[in-house]
Amino acid sequence: MDPFSSDGELVNIHTAFIQSQYTSVLNDFNTSDFSSSNHLPVQVLQYRAQCALGQYDEVIGSISDSNAKSTPDLAAVRTYASYLRTGSAGAVKEAERLAEQHAENLTIQLLCSTILARSGNNEAALTLLSKHQGSLDAVALIIQIHLLSNRPDLAAKEAQSARSFAQDALLVNLAEAWVGMRKGGEEYQKAFYVFEELAQNPSSASAWSLVAQGVSELHLGRTEEANAAIESALGLEEGNADALANLVVLEKVVGRDGAEALSRLQKVDKEHEVLRGMDEKREAFKTACEKYNPKF
Amino acid sequence: MASTQPMLTKFESKSSRAKGIAFHPKRPWILVSLHSSTIQLWDYRMGTLIDRFEEHDGPVRGVDFHKTQPLFVSGGDDYKIKVWSYQTRRCLFTLNGHLDYVRTVFFHHELPWILSASDDQTIRIWNWQNRSLICTMTGHNHYAMCAQFHPKEDLIVSASLDQSVRVWDISGLRKKHSAPTSVSFEDQMARANQNQADMFGNTDAVVKFVLEGHDRGVNWVAFHPTLPLIVSAGDDRLVKLWRMSETKAWEVDTCRGHFQNASACLFHPHQDLILSVGEDKTIRVWDLNKRTSVQSFKRENDRFWVIAAHPEINLFAAGHDNGVMVFKLERERPASAVHQNQLFFITKDKHVRSYDFQKNVESPSMLSLKKLGSAWTPPRTLSYNPAERSVLVTTPADSGSYELVNLPKDASGAVEPTNVLRGNGNAAVFVARNRFAVFNQTNQQIDIKDLTNSTTKTIKPPHGTTDMVYGGPGCLLLVTATHVYQYDIQQKKQLAELAVAGVKYVVWSGDGLHAALLSKHNVTIVNKALEQVSTLHETIRIKSATWDDAGVLLYSTLNHIKYTLMNGDNGIVRTLEHTFYLVRVKGRSVYCLDRAAKPKVLTIDPTEYRFKLALVKRHYDEMLNIIKTSSLVGQSIISYLQKKGYPEIALQFVQDPQTRFELAVECGNLDVAVEMAKQLDRPKLWQRLSTEALAHGNHQIVEMTYQKLRNFDKLSFLYLTTGDQEKLQRMAKIAEHRGDMTSRFQNALYLSDVQNRIDMFKEVDQYPLAYLTAKAHGLDDQCQEILEASGMTEDQVNLPKLGKPVQPPQTIVPTHNANWPTKSAGASSFEKALMADGDETIAPEANGYGEEDLLADEEAPQNGFAAEDGEDDDAAAGWDMGDDAIPDAEAEDFVDVGAETSGGAGSSEADLWTRNSPLAADHAAAGSFDSAMNLLNRQIGAVNFAPLEERFLEIYAASRTFLPANPGMPPLINFIRRTVDETDSRKILPLIPRDLESIQAIELTTGKNAMKANKLDEGLPHFRRALHYLMVNAVSSPSQVSEAQAAIHTAAQYIIAMSVELERRKIVGGSADISGLDEAKRKRALALSAYFTVPEMEAQHQTLALFSAMNFASRNKQLGTALGFANALIEKGTNVKFKETARKTKATAERSPTDALDIEFDSFNQFDLCAASFTPIYAGDASVACPFDGSKFLPEWKGKVCKVCGVCEVGKVGSGLRLRV
Repeated sequence: MDPFSSDGELVNIHTAFIQSQYTSVLNDFNTSDFSSSNHLPVQVLQYRAQCALGQYDEVIGSISDSNAKSTPDLAAVRTYASYLRTGSAGAVKEAERLAEQHAENLTIQLLCSTILARSGNNEAALTLLSKHQGSLDAVALIIQIHLLSNRPDLAAKEAQSARSFAQDALLVNLAEAWVGMRKGGEEYQKAFYVFEELAQNPSSASAWSLVAQGVSELHLGRTEEANAAIESALGLEEGNADALANLVVLEKVVGRDGAEALSRLQKVDKEHEVLRGMDEKREAFKTACEKYNPKF
Repeated sequence: MASTQPMLTKFESKSSRAKGIAFHPKRPWILVSLHSSTIQLWDYRMGTLIDRFEEHDGPVRGVDFHKTQPLFVSGGDDYKIKVWSYQTRRCLFTLNGHLDYVRTVFFHHELPWILSASDDQTIRIWNWQNRSLICTMTGHNHYAMCAQFHPKEDLIVSASLDQSVRVWDISGLRKKHSAPTSVSFEDQMARANQNQADMFGNTDAVVKFVLEGHDRGVNWVAFHPTLPLIVSAGDDRLVKLWRMSETKAWEVDTCRGHFQNASACLFHPHQDLILSVGEDKTIRVWDLNKRTSVQSFKRENDRFWVIAAHPEINLFAAGHDNGVMVFKLERERPASAVHQNQLFFITKDKHVRSYDFQKNVESPSMLSLKKLGSAWTPPRTLSYNPAERSVLVTTPADSGSYELVNLPKDASGAVEPTNVLRGNGNAAVFVARNRFAVFNQTNQQIDIKDLTNSTTKTIKPPHGTTDMVYGGPGCLLLVTATHVYQYDIQQKKQLAELAVAGVKYVVWSGDGLHAALLSKHNVTIVNKALEQVSTLHETIRIKSATWDDAGVLLYSTLNHIKYTLMNGDNGIVRTLEHTFYLVRVKGRSVYCLDRAAKPKVLTIDPTEYRFKLALVKRHYDEMLNIIKTSSLVGQSIISYLQKKGYPEIALQFVQDPQTRFELAVECGNLDVAVEMAKQLDRPKLWQRLSTEALAHGNHQIVEMTYQKLRNFDKLSFLYLTTGDQEKLQRMAKIAEHRGDMTSRFQNALYLSDVQNRIDMFKEVDQYPLAYLTAKAHGLDDQCQEILEASGMTEDQVNLPKLGKPVQPPQTIVPTHNANWPTKSAGASSFEKALMADGDETIAPEANGYGEEDLLADEEAPQNGFAAEDGEDDDAAAGWDMGDDAIPDAEAEDFVDVGAETSGGAGSSEADLWTRNSPLAADHAAAGSFDSAMNLLNRQIGAVNFAPLEERFLEIYAASRTFLPANPGMPPLINFIRRTVDETDSRKILPLIPRDLESIQAIELTTGKNAMKANKLDEGLPHFRRALHYLMVNAVSSPSQVSEAQAAIHTAAQYIIAMSVELERRKIVGGSADISGLDEAKRKRALALSAYFTVPEMEAQHQTLALFSAMNFASRNKQLGTALGFANALIEKGTNVKFKETARKTKATAERSPTDALDIEFDSFNQFDLCAASFTPIYAGDASVACPFDGSKFLPEWKGKVCKVCGVCEVGKVGSGLRLRV
């Protein structure tokens, strides 16, 4: 049984988490309000929220060695935070170790597989996640890994099976929308509805959902609406890297140079895919040019 | 509040004045008694007149059906009461006794009594079993206009023109007639004097109450079906409500409104309403509790005389001057919505309930919508939003309004809703989880609203829109009187339209792929793009429809549930007693709501339509299964199969040998045909069989049929042709035996049996022929014998010249041993499967075989298609084959994707782009710069890519978005497509920023503006950029391709022009006077000035060039050239002032049209300008060109980068720029 299912007491904090309302996860929920069996999951969620907000040091600092030793969940969180901070190989090793020892632990499954997947070991991540017991978070992660490795067919299959046991759960909708964004055609519109519903509802809106809405509109060719959504995402969260990255894309799509967005992004996240991709491609362009010897 | 709504009229008849009406309690029949002495029996559902009864003399005022027996009673102005049987269509007997017009007649609900009221001031009770009068009630002192039994108690109420209403107690009468105990003398006495007072002065019927209050005559009176209430209508135009207790009765209230005599009134059978009609031509509906008018309907010309209510269903009939109308007060279709396994519906008391199809349970009420609309108007539609668990309900009250209500979490009784959002609208439907559409008919507007009821979007529907329903995801269907439109809310545009008249309801299939448009008499099936799939017509009203999971539409009419397949084949599933509104089909169960909004489950037999569906879809094993397991018989299915061209399948259903024979012949199943022919053994059949078998080449059967037919000639010939010597000999024997000489001769011929022929001729005394035969075959001793026998000598015989005897051919192959290769018909695979099954040899093999066979049929074209696809693929792979080399590795990669089953990474969409397109832009978008450059190199000889770097990166950057998904994970990269609607991986292509239109609008326009503003150095880069954008781009149509080519040409020409002028300015340094320069430079400057006019530019820019060249030339004493420019300017110029100057210059120049310096420019000689050296290239001179922009160069520039575009190699031959896939 998924402790985050709609009838558990974790549902609100979990929903807030998957809607990327991280500050709400941290501020609106108090561990002591939950029954004792749920203390740990709440704490883990809050640590993950802190990680998502980039507060890695705080997370690492608040988990002592002894805690990490006694509770594998916390150990996973600490490893996760330190991986996200530096991307160290040691963290990957640690994740592999944890995955081996506590493969049945959901937190470990989620966090370690994230580390594994990010370090390029999709196979291991999927193997670890495949041990989940009906967790939608795990399913969502599996779907994302499949999509990242360009296997929308497997992702769709996974989403479909999740749909059969979790019906209309938010994560299932989201995961389907992610798959739909890859499939395209009518699916764009469907994905848009999912994102829009989240983004336009004040209680569920977040920069993240607005970005998602904007992206889906971009794919639908509605650039003006996409711009509005991304701008309002930036209004919520000035330095949202994904919003800026997509703003760069949008600017390019409409034929502007997007230099301003690019420099903003550079300030926020030097390592972002867009920038990395552009740099790589610039190099690739130079290399490709070398084949030709123009005479003037 | 009274409202005047259009009446829900179900039936209308035209006749003379209708005075009496009665509903049949069960059947859809109505009796109408007319002023013209006729009684009509109508089927109001079908609108047909069933019968007429004409025995009364003069008007018939009262009429009534018996509740259970096939009887009815009538009373007329001939003082007679007649009892009729509508089965035998005869008047059974007549009750005489009244002394004046009979006004009303009614049967008692359980006793065999008839109650009549008459102008003779009496009310009488008759026993129709022994046809006697049992009671006469006197007391009214004017015409008794109406008298009715109480539906339960022993009471009668009567109305009279004496202005009173009387209630009579008839319990005494009942006692007397229903207690057949020992009959005392007194009883006998009493019975003998039935209608007299008994010996104590009491009658069997005593007046209980006299109700006085009307101040004119009372025309009608009626009891309430359950409450102790009475309603009466009088000539004082009032409808009065009375109440009674055990001991007294009193007037409760008066309904005022009729402005002419009120003729009749009654209580609604199950709602708190009173209905009355009057000579003011109105029907009025009153609230029983408030005595206020609820509704009123007016007829133009006809006074109403009578009203009647159906005892059970919501139907009323009113008689007027010109006939009868049957109507209902409210729509009975319960508002409902189906979501997955749940039905949500609104009950008659306006409670929202749900019904679970899986558990077959109805929930308790969840919500009360009492306050929605007006009290007497039921909601019209219900739309359910599963995400919000809310409902949207519309009601026609208040000229259309809707309410948005949240359903409570669990059903706990009819709670009053909280947080209700309301608005005006005729239709409202959810279009998304958080949006609904509201249609307002009066101002013809659709508002898209969010869940807070605020409008987010407004749409103008097509003119004359009458209704709006859900139209698929994100769409609406807009219904007008003649058309249905599909409208996309997001795109705000109409997607499709279809001409279908009068659509009332739309039912979507479960998978959302099809919809049924229901109008009054038609069902039109459309697909989700609103394209018509099939349509059918019903003669009677279509009420509702629902889809089977297999794509069969079940629909209900007034009396049937029917089905229709996608191809339009339809049929009856079952009959219906009452109207039902179908909501769901599951297996053998049809879920529906009845008129009382109660969920019902009807059982149906889906075999027939499943069978037909299987047939249409060619699911033969399913058909087989159906044939085996169910008893599907009947002429209809056989003729259906025959009609559809499946006689061999029909054969399986038929027992009758004759039909079987016919079918077997039709499908070429000779074995069965033979079997049946043997059973029937009729020559005609054998005849047909022989023809058929011959056509099949089955000569064994042919032989048998000929034998049966005793057709010896044909038989012999058959044996001859099949080479069956043995049988031929037997035939010869038979012929001999039969003594048939012709036949014998023929057989002998076939057998080349000379002896036999000679013998035969001799036998028939044809000696000359016998001799001839013998002679021909050289049988001289035989000849001799014949000559001797006929007593002649050889010399007497005069012989013609004899040829050699002809021998019939010898049998080489014994074809008679086996049939010829027969026609392939024979047993179909279906039959094989069936037969194998019948043999108890287990089906799988046979089935498998059968399937294979059929599949082969179906697959063949598919295979063909696949092969074509393959070719397509090849063609795709071979795009620009020969001159562009897409790295092969990618192709392999692509192939791998298909082969992969699980695990491992797939290829990204970007890879697909490179496969799908020969466009450099698409390759750049995919990030495959290498292949993009390769393509450009092959197509237009591009070599210097540095100027394209930004363009490549821009396209690349615009090709992918970053969708954040799980926290901690990198964002999902998705690829933006220009083919937004495409999902076929072989057709998807990336979005390329800066389309042709924007380049024309921005770069070209800015460049030209710079030209106009004389800012040439600023304009130049714009045109260059335009060239670079166009070089790496994609367009969608051939016309755009040529447009793009034109744009490239324009940009190139401007670049050349501007470069020439800039070059000149460099030489002269900006001053107009060049006298200070050396001659070479002067010459060059003058030449360049002239060349400026050469490139093709827009007329106004050309004018500028000409003007500047003319001035420059005339200023520098080049009057000859200046004259040429002046002439050109006058001819082509666009600027009036310039023309003026030109004329002056011309005038000056014409005086001495000579040039000071000889420059290389001849305005009469066409030439191109070398784009690098700015020198003329005359026609016929050697030149090279840029493969991209087409600008010309002197041969010495070959192999260098084009000065115009800065990218391509001059003189290189390319395959040409591809801009379109």
